[in-house]
Amino acid sequence: MSVETAAPSGKQVARRRRFFTRQDKITLGFFIGIPTFLHIALVWFPAIATIGLSFTYWTGIRFEDIQWAGTANYENIFFNTPIFWDAVRNNTIWILWFFFIATPLGVLLAYQIDREIRGHKLYQSAYFLPVVLSLAVTGIIWNFLLRPDGFVNGLLGLPISEAISFFGDERYNIWVIMIMASWRHIGYIMLLYLAGLKAVDGALREAATIDGATEWQTFRKVVFPAMKPVNIIVIVITIIESLRAFDMVYIIYGSSGGLPILGVLVFNNIAGEGASMKGAAYAVILFLLSIVPIITYLQQQFKDDVR
Amino acid sequence: MLNKISNHEVDRRLVLKGAAAGGLGIAGATMLAGCASDVGPLSFGVRTVDESPVRQAEALVAAYVAKTGNEVTPNFTESNAFQNNLSQYLQGTPDDAFQWMAGYRMQFFAEQGLLVDISDVWDEIGDQYSESYKIASTGLDGNQYFVPQSWYPWGLHFRKSMMAEIGLNPEDIYNWDDMMSALEELKGQGLIGLASADKGGWEAMGTFDILNARINGYQFHVDLLAGREKWTDDRVKEVFRHWEMLVPYMNTNVLDLEWDGAMQLLLQRQAGFFMNGSWFGANFLEQSQEDYDDLWIVPFPEINPDHGRDTIDAPIDGLCVAANGSNADGGKDFLKFAGDIEGVQAIIDVGIPYTSANSLQDTSAYDPFQQQQLAVMAEAKYITQFLDRDTRPDFAGPVVGPSFQEWFRDPSSVDSILESMQSQWDALPPL
Amino acid sequence: MTTTVKVPELPKRKKKLYAQDIKDRFISIFIGIFAVVWVFPIVWTLWSSLRPYAEIRAGGVFSPPQELGVFNYTEAIDRMQLPTYFTNTVLITLPAVFLILLLGSLIAFVVTRYSFKFNVAMLLLFTAGNLLPPQLVFIPVFKLYLLLGDLVGDRRFLYDNHWGVILIHVAFQMGFATFVLSSYMKTIPKEISESAMVDGASVFTHYFRVMLPLLRPPLASLGVLMITWIYNDFFWALVLMSTDNKRPITSALGRLTGEFVTDYNLLAAGAMIAALPTLIVFFVLRKQFVGGLTLGSTKG
Repeated sequence: MSVETAAPSGKQVARRRRFFTRQDKITLGFFIGIPTFLHIALVWFPAIATIGLSFTYWTGIRFEDIQWAGTANYENIFFNTPIFWDAVRNNTIWILWFFFIATPLGVLLAYQIDREIRGHKLYQSAYFLPVVLSLAVTGIIWNFLLRPDGFVNGLLGLPISEAISFFGDERYNIWVIMIMASWRHIGYIMLLYLAGLKAVDGALREAATIDGATEWQTFRKVVFPAMKPVNIIVIVITIIESLRAFDMVYIIYGSSGGLPILGVLVFNNIAGEGASMKGAAYAVILFLLSIVPIITYLQQQFKDDVR
Repeated sequence: MLNKISNHEVDRRLVLKGAAAGGLGIAGATMLAGCASDVGPLSFGVRTVDESPVRQAEALVAAYVAKTGNEVTPNFTESNAFQNNLSQYLQGTPDDAFQWMAGYRMQFFAEQGLLVDISDVWDEIGDQYSESYKIASTGLDGNQYFVPQSWYPWGLHFRKSMMAEIGLNPEDIYNWDDMMSALEELKGQGLIGLASADKGGWEAMGTFDILNARINGYQFHVDLLAGREKWTDDRVKEVFRHWEMLVPYMNTNVLDLEWDGAMQLLLQRQAGFFMNGSWFGANFLEQSQEDYDDLWIVPFPEINPDHGRDTIDAPIDGLCVAANGSNADGGKDFLKFAGDIEGVQAIIDVGIPYTSANSLQDTSAYDPFQQQQLAVMAEAKYITQFLDRDTRPDFAGPVVGPSFQEWFRDPSSVDSILESMQSQWDALPPL
Repeated sequence: MTTTVKVPELPKRKKKLYAQDIKDRFISIFIGIFAVVWVFPIVWTLWSSLRPYAEIRAGGVFSPPQELGVFNYTEAIDRMQLPTYFTNTVLITLPAVFLILLLGSLIAFVVTRYSFKFNVAMLLLFTAGNLLPPQLVFIPVFKLYLLLGDLVGDRRFLYDNHWGVILIHVAFQMGFATFVLSSYMKTIPKEISESAMVDGASVFTHYFRVMLPLLRPPLASLGVLMITWIYNDFFWALVLMSTDNKRPITSALGRLTGEFVTDYNLLAAGAMIAALPTLIVFFVLRKQFVGGLTLGSTKG
């Protein structure tokens, strides 16, 4: 983010124009007020409400039924719900996989395409294609490939009864989901990184090449450090996406416990007939896990802005 | 409160009386006055988008409209989406009448004030139903909230032609040993003995229910689901010990198949038996008449002579009126028609096999498969609704479902799974 | 003079370039192979959608095709009530994207062109809000919609109403739009704003006449991205609507998986149909996706 030029002129502008007309004030009021109101009313206020509700017993139906529960929901989750720990394990695998495998691949891909290697236009389209598909369609497509009577089992020559259980077998299913998620994630990261690479000064790279650096060295020592803001964006999105995952797993497993992840646990416990505020507690846990990267990111992004 | 859940002994004789009285052939004539009731337009929530049940629902609506001239808007929703969304649906903008299930699943929502008391409808059509159906339609406060429509038994299904080829006669299977040797025979022929599915988390509950009822009896089963007995009890472990004996005869990818996947195994003659509810007969019929005619059912065999084959899961589907709908009177009027033999006959006339709860239905018109379903039901003394309808919803879906799936992954971990289930039951918030 | 100094360096540099060139070819081929693997799942689904399921059931997935045609598509179109679902999608997506771009640009405008003490706080608020998990807010939003409905006298005021879904999308996605647009606006020279203000332009004119025309690139990119994201949303329309035929096409996919339970090739056709608009947007507007996005800049 370019902030170098903003500071001095901003101050000058402020000094030069110290007051607004009444009409301006009204306009500004609307410009700021409407979006902020909407955002707070539908995002922040409900978020805080959910945090509060996580300390209650409630089926979500009648307000009169809300009873104080203290930390009971949380204790229930931590000590009495083994599937929670399975979900934590799965989400952790998700984060690690994205962080160490999917995102780096996306970054490298973006770099190569930005360098305009042969065929880059085609490749960019191919890798980005899964990103424009909805996660539900993605789930259907891969379900198609991996179901007992699908492509892979057909390739292996197995009848339905002996087909490899890609989605049901615990040894395989998390890795299958990882591949499916990466299929989309890599293209997404590639896109973001390409957007950032465009802004890297070409002169920097040329200078590096003239100095005799290989492409890898150029990337590692010149481009990557210059992309620091985008790197942070990419890291944060990686972590958030792996924590928030829901659509794709839901379309394959519905609300059964086939592959527990936090997003599905929230949904199972907060929607449907067995609704309870345990779901709110799950959501809060999800929120707290996400808040760390969010805060890190915000600190990084805006420390230059806080004068 | 939970004491009231399926604590009533349903006398099978009462059920039989209801179902078999059809020989009177009163179809067509009704006690209701034929006047058009002017209750205004109403909406009807249908809990399926599958071809056969949709046609039946449309026929019902058409008949109602023809009789009363009221406007009915049917809204079709896929069943999983409907179920997952029901709480929001009922609180928000539900249809006036909607399809739902009997059991605690219905009583829970009645308790929350989301269903309309329809005891007055029962006053008018109640004589067409046996006492057991009335009990199943009653909420925890003693009023009725539900009108039954259809039911189906859970039992061992198989293809007659396959069994004939192999030389087995499942009707001769009376006890556990008989079944084990039949499964062994099937395995020897390279077939799957018992097609099983549990990807959706609920399918396996049917097997658990029947094993528990056979081994430990109806009362223990009911008490277990109500929390009066413990999952860590040795008797429950006995159930799992038997279940484990069945695993070698199942397909290896139980957790990767939903009920329709396991049904495919039977349809494609790769499996011998399929323990399921008989609703999938309609899918067989969609496939071809021959497939449907080939389908047969027998009760799950006896395991414990003390209990014989006295219990069966026979879930009842039916209709309710939503309290937050815009036209409760319209909803009630619709339920009255649907529960009356006139509405039932409209559904039957579609031609798709339909096992109605209405005692006036002419069972002599049932096809052989339906007659057999009736016979299987008739043999049972006690009727249960299925695990996820008979116990707390925040236990069935989030706890029991995944626990059974966990067991399939590692049957030897049964002790720790049962302990976990029990502690999760204990940790449930008070109702 | 210089030529004699350069000559010994040249071969070394040329060799490095040549080596890099070979590496590049390998990289290109490697990425190329994976690109094929990448699109294969889509191609396979497309292929399957052209075959009748009966054939697959009889001969397996690799059975030689006897019948190939669009019959699955015609049947899916018949059964899927496409016009209804697509209309719903348009009714939700277009207003939502419009509002997101409008409101996001308003905030970005105020925060980057004027120095208010709360600028940073605003950016923080919106950016963080964008990253919150949607599951966190669902129950209170649901209850809120119903309460407002009761207040107004019509339960369908926001619940089971396209506007309810539109508003929640706007509330959530505004943050991303704000972030991208403010990032872009920082690269627009201050002089433009200064001269406008010196000329006596009101805030209103400043925004609509001066800044907005300059925002075409990022707005186009954002618009394309937002259309894709909102089109693909599955969760909100599922939980904030009770009438199935008001839902957009992607939420209806859940219905398809339940409905076409015994005919997977039909389901494939349905999925392809549902994916079609985004695919069209993608192929036609490929450039826009990356074109106007500005994330960070090291340009002096």
